Amino acid sequence: MKLSTLAAIALTLGVSTWANADWSQTQNEAKGQTVYFNAWGGSEATNAYIAWAAKEAKTRYGIDVRHVKITDTAEVVKRVQTEMAAGRTSDGSVDLMWVNGENFRNLKNGGLLFGPWAQNLPNWGLVDLNKPVRTDFSVPTEGYESPWGTAQLTFIADSAKTPKPPRSAADLLAFSKANPGRVSYPKPTDFHGTTFVKQMLLELTPNRAVLQQPVTPAAFATATQPLWAYLDQLHPSLWRNGKTFPASAAEMHRMLGDGELKMSITFNPNEAANLIASKQLPASAYSFGFTGGTIGNVHFVAIPVNAHAKAGAQVFANFLLSAEAQTRKADITVWGDGTVLDITKLPTASQAQIRKTAPGALAEVVPTLPEPHASWVEALEAEWLKRYGSR
Amino acid sequence: MAQALRLALERALPQAPSKRPGLPWQWLAALPVMLIFGPLLPGLYWALSPALDATVWQALWLDAQWPQALRSTLISSVLGTLLACGMAALLATLHYPGRLWGSLQRRLPLLLSVPHAAFAVGLFFLIAPSGWLARTIAHFVQWTGPPDWVTVQDPYGLSLALALAIKESWFLLWVLAAVLGEQAVSRQMVMGRSLGYSRTQTWRLILWPQLLPRLRWPVIAVFAYGLSVVDMAIILGPGTPPTLAALIWHWLTDPDPALQARGSAASMILLIVLLTCVLAVRGLLWLMKRHQPYPAGQRKPTASRRWLKLHTPLFLVGYAVVAVLLLWSVAQEWFFPALLPDALSLESWHQADWAPFWTTLWLAMAASLLCLPAVLVWLEWGPKRLNALLYLPLIVPALPLVAGQYATLLHLQLDGTAVALVWSHLLWVLPYMVLTLIGPYRAFDLRLMTSARALGYSPWRACLHVKWPILLRPILATLAVGFAVSVAQYLPTLFAAGGRFVTVTTEAVALSAGGNRRVLAVQALLQIALPMAAFGLAAAAAYWLGRHRKGLR
Repeated sequence: MKLSTLAAIALTLGVSTWANADWSQTQNEAKGQTVYFNAWGGSEATNAYIAWAAKEAKTRYGIDVRHVKITDTAEVVKRVQTEMAAGRTSDGSVDLMWVNGENFRNLKNGGLLFGPWAQNLPNWGLVDLNKPVRTDFSVPTEGYESPWGTAQLTFIADSAKTPKPPRSAADLLAFSKANPGRVSYPKPTDFHGTTFVKQMLLELTPNRAVLQQPVTPAAFATATQPLWAYLDQLHPSLWRNGKTFPASAAEMHRMLGDGELKMSITFNPNEAANLIASKQLPASAYSFGFTGGTIGNVHFVAIPVNAHAKAGAQVFANFLLSAEAQTRKADITVWGDGTVLDITKLPTASQAQIRKTAPGALAEVVPTLPEPHASWVEALEAEWLKRYGSR
Repeated sequence: MAQALRLALERALPQAPSKRPGLPWQWLAALPVMLIFGPLLPGLYWALSPALDATVWQALWLDAQWPQALRSTLISSVLGTLLACGMAALLATLHYPGRLWGSLQRRLPLLLSVPHAAFAVGLFFLIAPSGWLARTIAHFVQWTGPPDWVTVQDPYGLSLALALAIKESWFLLWVLAAVLGEQAVSRQMVMGRSLGYSRTQTWRLILWPQLLPRLRWPVIAVFAYGLSVVDMAIILGPGTPPTLAALIWHWLTDPDPALQARGSAASMILLIVLLTCVLAVRGLLWLMKRHQPYPAGQRKPTASRRWLKLHTPLFLVGYAVVAVLLLWSVAQEWFFPALLPDALSLESWHQADWAPFWTTLWLAMAASLLCLPAVLVWLEWGPKRLNALLYLPLIVPALPLVAGQYATLLHLQLDGTAVALVWSHLLWVLPYMVLTLIGPYRAFDLRLMTSARALGYSPWRACLHVKWPILLRPILATLAVGFAVSVAQYLPTLFAAGGRFVTVTTEAVALSAGGNRRVLAVQALLQIALPMAAFGLAAAAAYWLGRHRKGLR
């Protein structure tokens, strides 16, 4: 741990001497500030990690980080919007938020973000620029958010009941028909559910390149036609005949544990290992992906334009990006969230810690598919709700 | 001699110009209420004005989800209310007065203190396809997987109706118990019985006609709650589409202003539904009054139906909910079809976060204690005709009110402060406390006050030394209800606190997004413990303070 810190400091000094003066000023400003970090609070592993990071920020930088646990990031977007509409242009209630995708796009388009700041962080030099850390669902981040972790859509099953899992959309349809009522996916607009729909869209659409452009009605109609045909076929064999859907991935994990479902879904290839350790899944659970690849993305932290503790938020974001914090986050016994740093730039001890694995985690290489442009999300969700939202 | 002199001296002292409550008293009574309600009005305007646009209504009309959402909302709230009323009325008719009624009353606090969210979680653990019920059956018939039941989150909202019915029947029993505890009511029962009317006849001819008008507001509150409940609907209600309240919550928190406006418009639909149902109930009461058979003098022998042990399943569900939560909070591995966990540990309790518990404690104490003087002063001197105004927060869906409060707090730059948090709770704590106390308060024998005034007490002293001490038991119960209402508040806490204060309720709902039933069970149990302590303390204090006074016990 010590070694990695030293290495991080050494690297930090090497990369960003030019910004040193500015940065020490930011650090001075940050001292004594309270940072309200609005982040999804639905996983104990995540909450425990944020609590650790907050404690470190207090002792190292004198910043008081408070984790505001939320269930849906769209609520935070709404909060910032309402505050700005009410004329509260400074002293807002959100200092830092965990965000990506269409929520980021809404904030950025609405001029609701502070920045650019992310690429001025001393630890930016450690970031692996080969990962998609400068675009978020095809929307350029332009320094308005700092990368925090990587995610990839992964499926979970129980080897005691499902030794041979489905490996593609077509496979899944056959699997579902063979196991009626035991397959489902979270209801979109839950982000796991929306991602499942996007995954099927990527597999079935005639021309994937279209999905990287902002959506148009004509492009939407052509690109999504096979998707709806597929879902129309799939739904009758789903849990409760596809008339209703689980509310979240977490609910699906529970149903998988009890044998109500044969498959669950996650964005963290290591989550199954965590769930086994906390006795939420049986030890025979395992992770798998599709042969053709699954959607992967990066999640970020951003600062609203009316944040009160902008300096404190930047210093904390920089800490989250440090080798030590990223190594700990990637540790499968802590959280197991993929790092955004270039692993080769890290000390060997950190590399070993990051590469550690545990029973249940994704043990195979699954190609990563890029997210469609953020504008597709709302269009897909609206159309899905129109077709299947009320049956 | 000394007594008479003192009275004479007191009378000689300058007094309030009028014996009747003068204008200053009325102002004093109205001031706290104005502080709670006044700032809300501009906020409501800011929050709801987007709905005053025809295109918003057009978009709502075209939305595919709302007709079914309205259907499940109507089924769950109407059925839940009817069942709750039926069960409470049946239990009272069968068992009051009697030993069983007394034991029912003593057992109510435990059940009442289970907040709605915690009860929904517990009920889910019981009746879900992988719940305790299915596990018990699986144990005997050797199922390998959970059955294909639709016992929770059914498309018609029937499981939600069941949960509301059970939960609200306890609330109605509590209200009934408070009313039936009055001396005037119990004397009438004795009178009816001694004239030879059977228990059922006395209930039908004498008690119900008097009690029904007094139970009107509690029943409407129960119905309104069922209409606008969000947390229970998310756990037990349908998902595709959700109930109307959950759908509105979804819309109001959407970043898209068009959807926010649709949420405002849809919450007006809830209001219209409520008004329609209230009018229907009023019509029904009016009809009953018209067709009230005049006691013909026929005495019917008591048809004892005491074998009907309705209370057993009703209470059993409550105990099973608490038991299954307790078990989950200490469970290790516990997958279907295991009837009991493989191993037990206190790990979840050791790792539990107690900060929300303390926040909830001071918040609920501040809210209920601040409201008590306001409630007493309002009931004594406040304008009686305006009581209905106070009840508005109970019958208006909570979502637009919370949005209005939040808009006001933003303009005052007070959001995220402790003051704002307490203020946001008062809007619901105050009406529930008025609602609980108004029945006993109205039924108070005014001759006692007349005597006190005739003996020279000022209105203030007469209340302080005669009226309020006699009403001590309902007042303590009111305090406990206020405390419990504050503990259960989810939406106001979330908005007004700006996430800076976390209560057991917001913590439990945030955790319910994750799937770990152990942590969820711990928070649900903490949520139960607080109101339970309040109800227990209120009952114990009332008993202790009234131990030498027969009429107060």
